[in-house]
Amino acid sequence: MNSPYMDALEALTRERGVHGGLVVSERDGIVVEANVHTGVKSNIVAALAASIYRKTRLAAAAAGLGGVNYLELVAGEGRLCMAGHEDLVVVAITDATATVGAMRAATIRAAGRIG
Amino acid sequence: MTTAVVEPWIEEPLRLFVEDSQVRLALVLTPNGQVLGQHGFSRAVDVMSACALASAIHASSNELGKLLQDKPFGGLHHAGVDRQLFLAPAETTRGTLLCLTVFDHATSLGLVQLYFEELCMRLRLAAPVARSERSPVLADTFERDLDQSLAFLFKR
Repeated sequence: MNSPYMDALEALTRERGVHGGLVVSERDGIVVEANVHTGVKSNIVAALAASIYRKTRLAAAAAGLGGVNYLELVAGEGRLCMAGHEDLVVVAITDATATVGAMRAATIRAAGRIG
Repeated sequence: MTTAVVEPWIEEPLRLFVEDSQVRLALVLTPNGQVLGQHGFSRAVDVMSACALASAIHASSNELGKLLQDKPFGGLHHAGVDRQLFLAPAETTRGTLLCLTVFDHATSLGLVQLYFEELCMRLRLAAPVARSERSPVLADTFERDLDQSLAFLFKR
């Protein structure tokens, strides 16, 4: 039987262009659950993505903008999509073929499922 | 906060580790408790205590690991309320070194572990192949050697 985290990640990684999904502890920056293709350095992605998400959330709060529910980092060959739930962050690693709107919806939905 | 080292080849790896990982305190020491470098400590007595405790913790967890799984445990993480501790060995041509770090909410365990791997790699690359001129640590000379290192670090 899968953990609720793995169920959420399996749904996320069925999206087109997704190379991996992680559930990460925002405070510790360590992997709680992972479903990634071979070669994805999940520990490194988790540590750095959690740090970016945390700092973005704190910056938004400091600017009086309220909570962050979705963060997307666009790189040359793909995206990192992040959505948080309490102390956890769902991170999706995609290539350039992934659809922006679909990834946004799928990542937020996955974060909702880990609660 | 300044970084101070007893052996110059440790300075650059330690300085980069502290800058990247944003840890508050860092110590590089030998498994028998001799300090080789430090960042963030302001008193020699704190370095001396931290080295003794880190050395003892490492020795205990090493033996416990051998007992339970026939090999020593790797890194050790202790999460406090405000501050966290990470203690792990780094293998170099100069033998095993220990790295003790203390960090807070400015960073995370994942980042500390990530940059610790870089520290290990940099120490491996920087370590002189030839043995140090330092004499082997003996019970008779341990305290004198430790005092010399602390005096060097804190310019006494």
